[in-house]
Amino acid sequence: MIEIKNLYKTFDKTAVLNGLNLHVREGETKVIIGRSGVGKSVLLKSIVGLVRPESGSIVVDGQELMGLDERGFDRVRKDIGLVFQGGALFDSLNVGENVAFHLDEFTRIRGEERRERIARALSFVGMREIEGLMPSQLSGGMRKRVSLARVLCREPRIILYDEPTSEVDPITADAINNLIVEMRNRLKVTSIVVTHDMNAAYKIADTIAMFYQGQVIADGTPEEIRHCRHPFVRQFISGESQGAITEDENIKFGHVR
Amino acid sequence: MARAWVVFRYGLRYVGSLVLLLGQSLACAVTPPFNAYRFLYQARRVGLGTFFISSVGAFFIGAIISLQMAYLMVSLSAEIYIPNVVAIALARELGPVMTAIIVAGRIGAGITAEIGTMTVTEQIDALKAFAVNPVRYLVVPRLLALLLMVPILTVFAVLAGILGGFVICHFKLSIQHHTYWNMVVTALVLKDVVTGLLKTFFFAAVIAIVGCWEGMNVRGGADGVGKATTLAVVRSFIFIILIDCVLTFIFYFVFNA
Ligand SMILES: Nc1ncnc2c1ncn2[C@@H]1O[C@H](COP(=O)(O)OP(=O)(O)OP(=O)(O)O)[C@@H](O)[C@H]1O
Ligand SMILES: [Mg+2]
Repeated sequence: MIEIKNLYKTFDKTAVLNGLNLHVREGETKVIIGRSGVGKSVLLKSIVGLVRPESGSIVVDGQELMGLDERGFDRVRKDIGLVFQGGALFDSLNVGENVAFHLDEFTRIRGEERRERIARALSFVGMREIEGLMPSQLSGGMRKRVSLARVLCREPRIILYDEPTSEVDPITADAINNLIVEMRNRLKVTSIVVTHDMNAAYKIADTIAMFYQGQVIADGTPEEIRHCRHPFVRQFISGESQGAITEDENIKFGHVR
Repeated sequence: MARAWVVFRYGLRYVGSLVLLLGQSLACAVTPPFNAYRFLYQARRVGLGTFFISSVGAFFIGAIISLQMAYLMVSLSAEIYIPNVVAIALARELGPVMTAIIVAGRIGAGITAEIGTMTVTEQIDALKAFAVNPVRYLVVPRLLALLLMVPILTVFAVLAGILGGFVICHFKLSIQHHTYWNMVVTALVLKDVVTGLLKTFFFAAVIAIVGCWEGMNVRGGADGVGKATTLAVVRSFIFIILIDCVLTFIFYFVFNA
């Protein structure tokens, strides 16, 4: 379904993706974990052509994406929904218009049906009656959820979630995690979820891949990851501030005396 | 010398990228889907935002020219020709240039700030991820709005300037009102109006394209948006003066106008 091979992307001479390989099967939910700044967002943006890697291969549904022009990518983008880490709501449009963005631009759905679709997409993320508000009037977590609703309203076959629960309260976070599971079970959506929440990762993932220094260092079912012996993976999933990763990177977090 | 060469090459590349953006916008403007709403919305914004200030400005410029000319013409007993000077100067040169500079300062800067903010908050990326071409969505309506409104604003500015000249000529120099209007109408021939208006289309395109380009190429955060906004205004001014110079030469030497 999504096959990524040997992907390289460099920003200002530092390699962010360093020969990355990743395979996501049809209908699978792949969770990506990894430290801040390893290039998780860069990978998601590469899949929809917002970041152009230097070399390697990205194949979606049998189609090679590397080297496509904007118009070629536009055809691919119709099937893929990306939930931006920062929300990226259009701030000149109100919440309803944001959610209905795809409908307004590409379909003739108007009036009552459009209203229903907006309300349904918002109800997926536990919100209602905020269609008239502007993005600047929302809290960070609300913005994130509207951004998710905007993608759901398109009904894409592939959804890339960039930390969908990072700014929301635990109750909503759980609801969003259930939603991701349901999208897979009911609608057979293929997804990649970037998250820092290990409990959520175990709950929603079919497989979990851990990024480290631009590569995937572990990839397996939640059970396999939980029992993985790799010292880097161990430190990450147990969430300790001292261990193999920090030693490798020669980082000592400062302490207040 | 080497430095001058670097600057020259940079300038060339910059102009090249503007021409490219202009080409893309025109290509999008003539191919469906069209969106009249976004175009009219922008046109309204340009018109309402500038009409008052450009008209009032031109009114006083007309008055100032009359007074400055009176200083010379009265001593020659040729004050009867002041209306001609006012009309010609405004229609051919001052009306178009002054309107363009006001629009660049008010609307051009606004375009850069708005699009620049969209760039740094990933809204441009979000448009692309929704398979919407940012040039079609953002640049085309602004370009067309300016192409429509700058000539209209210029016409009103010229009329206001002639009115300003009338106030001085009538009340200070005691020129009869029908004499004033007769002189104005006989002084202006078609080619004065045509060359004046022709320039405004070039000015409008410069303001829109420079404003949009600077916005879409913002680097960094709020700081980048601020710098880009200043650059957009300064560069628009330079291009307006340059184009005015070139067109005036062409009109004078080639068309004898
Ligand atoms: N447009 C860009 N220009 C320059 N460097 C960039 C750009 N985008 C990302 N980077 C760099 O790439 C690296 C990876 O960024 P990325 O946003 O993918 O991290 P991440 O894994 O998503 O982190 P987080 O968990 O904090 O979101 C960072 O070191 C960042 O500095
Ligand atoms: Mg990220």
